[in-house]
Amino acid sequence: MVGPTASLSILQRADGSATYKCPATGYTILSAVNGPVELPGRRDALKPEDATVEVFVKPGTTTGGVGERAIETTLKSVLGDIVLGREKGFPRRGVVLTLNIVGGENVERGDSYLTLLPALLHAGLLAMISASIPLSMTLSAVLLGVTDSGEIVQNPSPAAAKSAVSLHVLAISSKDHLLLNQSRGRFDFDTWELIRARALSICQGAANDGDVAMGEGTNTASVNGFIRETAEDQIYSAYAHKLDSI
Amino acid sequence: MASSAAASNPTIPSLNLPPSQFARLQPHAYLLAHLSPPAASDQPSVRANGRATSQFRVTSANAGSLTHTNGSAVVRIGDTAAVCGVRAELLHTEDIASWSVSTASEAEAGNTSQKGGSKTEDEEDRDHVQDLNLLVPNISLSTGCAPGFTPGAPPSTLAQSLSHEILSLLHTTRLVKADDLRIWYQPPNLESEEFRNAGEGMDVDSEQTGGPEPEIKAFWVLYIDIMIISLAGNPFDAAWASVLAALRDTKLPKAWWDADNETVLCSDNISDAQKLSLRGLPVSSSFCTFEADAAAGWRSVVIPNADELKSQAQKQGSQQRWILADPDGYEEGLSQERVCVVVDIEDGKTVIVKMEKHGGWAVDSDDLRQLVDVSAKRWHEMKRILDQC
Repeated sequence: MVGPTASLSILQRADGSATYKCPATGYTILSAVNGPVELPGRRDALKPEDATVEVFVKPGTTTGGVGERAIETTLKSVLGDIVLGREKGFPRRGVVLTLNIVGGENVERGDSYLTLLPALLHAGLLAMISASIPLSMTLSAVLLGVTDSGEIVQNPSPAAAKSAVSLHVLAISSKDHLLLNQSRGRFDFDTWELIRARALSICQGAANDGDVAMGEGTNTASVNGFIRETAEDQIYSAYAHKLDSI
Repeated sequence: MASSAAASNPTIPSLNLPPSQFARLQPHAYLLAHLSPPAASDQPSVRANGRATSQFRVTSANAGSLTHTNGSAVVRIGDTAAVCGVRAELLHTEDIASWSVSTASEAEAGNTSQKGGSKTEDEEDRDHVQDLNLLVPNISLSTGCAPGFTPGAPPSTLAQSLSHEILSLLHTTRLVKADDLRIWYQPPNLESEEFRNAGEGMDVDSEQTGGPEPEIKAFWVLYIDIMIISLAGNPFDAAWASVLAALRDTKLPKAWWDADNETVLCSDNISDAQKLSLRGLPVSSSFCTFEADAAAGWRSVVIPNADELKSQAQKQGSQQRWILADPDGYEEGLSQERVCVVVDIEDGKTVIVKMEKHGGWAVDSDDLRQLVDVSAKRWHEMKRILDQC
């Protein structure tokens, strides 16, 4: 299976930006982060000691509707969770994340955003890394579908997702916490535990068999490894001038 | 008590605060003191509102409260109250732009569905209910339900995302059967037509129906409007329960296609009206997590691994977090992590329809398993309440 591709800091004006393309589901997301910025309006009333994370999702061909508001709320709570909003310069300010769906199928009215959610999460996270927003940990997400025969499919295409009995999106932090779970469809708890185990292995690599053994090869197999490598590449290119001068 | 102390000795301000003031000044400490009382005090661990951690608020439901709707319900969960009205309106197939195109493929699909069984029927339902948008839920919070929501303001983000969640849940549970919403017309059986069908070689159809196929002339569109008239936390459970109760109450008048007038006519007779037959009874239960450490969410120390977190909790002995069922407004303000479980019980087996958690990293498999059990218990309770209303 072809892995996802991503590039960081591609927009000039934004503090941080990224594109993320998931070939399995066909979605391409362009994301931009500005932060910390002064937000208009009376933000003090909400949480004066914390940064506000604002997320905007723009669909490719239409204007945003209620589905976008729902997914924005979810993204806000997941990404807002890992942003260290009390670092110096962040309280009372905002981190504004805009996610633009550039490629892929449109989400129909009343459809859940589950197929898009991992791509949106990854794009948002990478943009935040690109903008050097302080984060407590990173995350990696995966979409899993259960077919009629009870088979678990990773990243089903939009058509396959429609016919799946249940769909699950799990976001696992870089420290194995379950940050987000969204499951729709009909399933029982034992199935979900299988899903959970599968998601952990997809996100964190086949097995955590000692830190030393984690070479380049095993890293790329996991989604978390992919996020890590993308960030490493970014740092490498950002500090290339220093490396050259050595 | 505080005032009498202050009156007797005006120079030293009393440090005795009435509980209501303490609750406002130190909400986190107030709830924590209730949940983990000092061991010496010999008090049970209860929430500030007097409930046990997995206890839901008193729920009442009343169906058929609004007379001008096809179905309605008022559901009250504690101080959160939702009114739901279902209004059915007709959608003529000739008004659907893509109808003539889609019926052609429909005829083929119909043939397979008779062989395929229930699964394809489900998919056909999805096509009609979802593609034609036959269910239109809308939730309104701008009723002055809580101080944060100004009446008459445009729908807030919360209202919009709740509307979407309800629509999405209606679609995933396939609660409403598309067949209830279809208005059929059986064209008169003219002999010449039957011959023509046979001549074209549509043996399969003519064998089964022996005449022209019935066609769909119109659909019922259900406008499901929910007003939250009082919001004290957990709007989704209340809204969903009101939708459920209202749909169970909904009666659609008998409607038929009148070929002479070329329009759909409805019967005035109430005895002709039919109730919707719903698929199952998915009941939603929401939870939130209350952390003992107020700074757990933001302190920039290194967050322990998931495994370490678990062993840490065991080592410390005292409970570090509580999962509170059916949080009220006060508790919702003190917690980040939310869990929502929608379950249905069929033949004694618990089926999870939706399971969602976000906003934190504490709840994992073990907790979720317990929450599913709690939700299953809640299902029985809600079934009893909804059956009575």
